[in-house]
Amino acid sequence: MVVVRLDRVTKIFKGGVVGVKDISLTIKHGEFMALLGPSGSGKSTTLYLIAGIYKPTSGRIYFDDRDVTNLPPKDRNVGLVFQNWALYPHMKVYENIAFPLRLKKLPEEEIKRRVLDVARMLQIDKLLDRYPWQLSGGQQQRVAIARALVKEPDVLLLDEPLSNLDAILRISVRAELKRLQKKLGITTIYVTHDQAEALAMADRIALINEGRIVQVGTPEEVYNRPATVFVGGFLGNPPMNFLEAEVEDLDKEIFLVIGKYRIRAPERYWSIIRRLKTKRVIIGFRPEDTSIKPESLDTICLPGRVYGIEPLGRENIVVIEIGGELVKIISGRRISLTLDQMVWICPVMEKIILFDPATGKALDRLVVEEKIRAI
Amino acid sequence: MVGIKLNKIFFHRLFNNLVEFFRSDASRFLFPALFLVLVFYIIPVIISVYLSFTPLKNWNIDRYAGEIIGFENYYKFFYMLTHDPSVKAVFLTTIVFVALTLTVNVLGGLGLAIATYFMSEKAAGGTQLIWLLPRMTPIAVYSMIWYYFFHPSSIGTLNSILLHLGLIDKPIDFGQGIIPWGAWAIIVFVNGLVGVSYGMIVFTSAISNIPKELVIAARVDGASNWEITRRILIPLLKWHIIYVTTWQLLSLITTYDHLFLLVKWGLVNRDYGTTWSLYIYNTAFQLGETDQGLAAAAGVILVLVSSGLGLLTLKLMGFEKMIKPPRGDI
Ligand SMILES: Nc1ncnc2c1ncn2[C@@H]1O[C@H](COP(=O)(O)OP(=O)(O)OP(=O)(O)O)[C@@H](O)[C@H]1O
Ligand SMILES: [Mg+2]
Repeated sequence: MVVVRLDRVTKIFKGGVVGVKDISLTIKHGEFMALLGPSGSGKSTTLYLIAGIYKPTSGRIYFDDRDVTNLPPKDRNVGLVFQNWALYPHMKVYENIAFPLRLKKLPEEEIKRRVLDVARMLQIDKLLDRYPWQLSGGQQQRVAIARALVKEPDVLLLDEPLSNLDAILRISVRAELKRLQKKLGITTIYVTHDQAEALAMADRIALINEGRIVQVGTPEEVYNRPATVFVGGFLGNPPMNFLEAEVEDLDKEIFLVIGKYRIRAPERYWSIIRRLKTKRVIIGFRPEDTSIKPESLDTICLPGRVYGIEPLGRENIVVIEIGGELVKIISGRRISLTLDQMVWICPVMEKIILFDPATGKALDRLVVEEKIRAI
Repeated sequence: MVGIKLNKIFFHRLFNNLVEFFRSDASRFLFPALFLVLVFYIIPVIISVYLSFTPLKNWNIDRYAGEIIGFENYYKFFYMLTHDPSVKAVFLTTIVFVALTLTVNVLGGLGLAIATYFMSEKAAGGTQLIWLLPRMTPIAVYSMIWYYFFHPSSIGTLNSILLHLGLIDKPIDFGQGIIPWGAWAIIVFVNGLVGVSYGMIVFTSAISNIPKELVIAARVDGASNWEITRRILIPLLKWHIIYVTTWQLLSLITTYDHLFLLVKWGLVNRDYGTTWSLYIYNTAFQLGETDQGLAAAAGVILVLVSSGLGLLTLKLMGFEKMIKPPRGDI
């Protein structure tokens, strides 16, 4: 088990395509780190850099204190699982799993012992005599994981290993995989574009967008305190709602003006707004941290029109139009709303996050950055 | 009596089936293909088989073509095969030429495809282009190049190199002087070079269809290029290797264009530079006294032998398994 550390790693492909840019990230001993981002954001590139399949254009990669930047993949002792699993179609399951050990020229009894051990652990010991095409998707995925684990790697790298499975299987395998990882205590980096998967499995999540790391934190941190509009808009289903507003500082109080309406800015932001001299903000609030009321009870409520209702069984998503913008709000199972009805939506004051429209960054982050710069 | 009755039923059925076929849509789809097969394959085959039973000589059709002499041409051919040193040489040359050139073609094509796979894109493109050149060069020009390369005098490229290096002190006549291996080496070399590109193209496109993750996975697990080649690429190219081997085998048995020129120009020994198909051509069209009946008989035997060999290769290498039953139970 090792600590994996990326130090300002940049990968630029031929033709100037940026794979990842200036990534610094530390994955701790035995940690389950999810690398989350949209398609083309550079997740696989990061993984391949750690595996040694790509050489960074600049920056360094360390396993513990060992600089592995120029080490070929085979000397890094990593286990890699691909999105399409990449099982060798001409080898039976046993041979697939044994392959990494064969390459190490281990004695036959030891190969057999280790293959059987790992197969038993993943409950595929009955399938060893089959070809990959004779297996279901879930079974193939286990074989791929077994092949990565059999060499007892220092780091386990998984590139969207569940994305080829159906929704139900994915959720059950998710729990299983996490248990296995904890049991083995192996440092794991898990690439996914599925935010629910990342939130459910990871110890920490690194959000990546357009080749840059946007935020790193525990699922709770990144969900509740998104560092940017991107993070807020990427996590959650439905994701965070955003409304643009003008700042109106009346000395005693600060208000946020949205069209004809204004709400009181959360008090904890007052000093920040004054320090940054912010003129415009993006108000972010989560669908589940907002209530719908028939009339305004509070200075934080905004009027809107019911645009649509999406029943989800356990709850309802109510789509509400506010001054031309649509926001989504989760309400309880029973609602008595009709289309085009006028209602008030009231976000929970403490859960509101304000962002800077120019940079997309959360105001409290900006203020920290400014303080650092000031020193 | 019973036989006649059965025959009647058989022909009746055949006739009905044919009528049905020509009425069906299938015949309309297949007609152009069937027409081509008929005109360019079936009819020539029938004519050849027929000619092999006539004593046709010097294209004197009026005089000989109507006469049937049974298997006389076949007896003659087998007699020559066992007694005439030239024909014996031709037979031996055919075997050696096909076996060696086939090996060069398939292994060369495979080697090039795999080597270029591990190269950078630019280097790979350049390498492949070079190996395609023989294919793209007109046969006469291409043969001319090698004619001068192996020329028995000191103007020959190879001879002049060897002379300059001081390895020899007078030019060597490779094709006529070193018999049979000198002649064989030249014809195998020249044809091998042309044929490599076919395997190279088939194998290259097949390799590019192998998911690159398979290779990356092996690489991460510590496989060298050689291990990747042996344990992953070659097993996955199995069907393509079978296909290219069979295809090249059949085309080598029937090819004679380069050989024709090399023999005609006297670069290689006539007997040890001539293969069966060139022998047929020469017997029918070239030598002073041409014997089309004999050529036709040799041709018919060649077709039988090559069909047999083709089927045998497919069988040996397990072609049936390649034609997988369609998925599903329809
Ligand atoms: N070998 C390559 N050569 C050139 N560009 C590449 C290469 N691999 C990736 N890229 C580019 O780098 C960027 C990041 O790609 P990457 O594969 O890391 O994305 P990803 O986050 O894994 O996306 P996905 O979720 O779709 O797999 C993309 O713009 C992609 O086009
Ligand atoms: Mg990817």
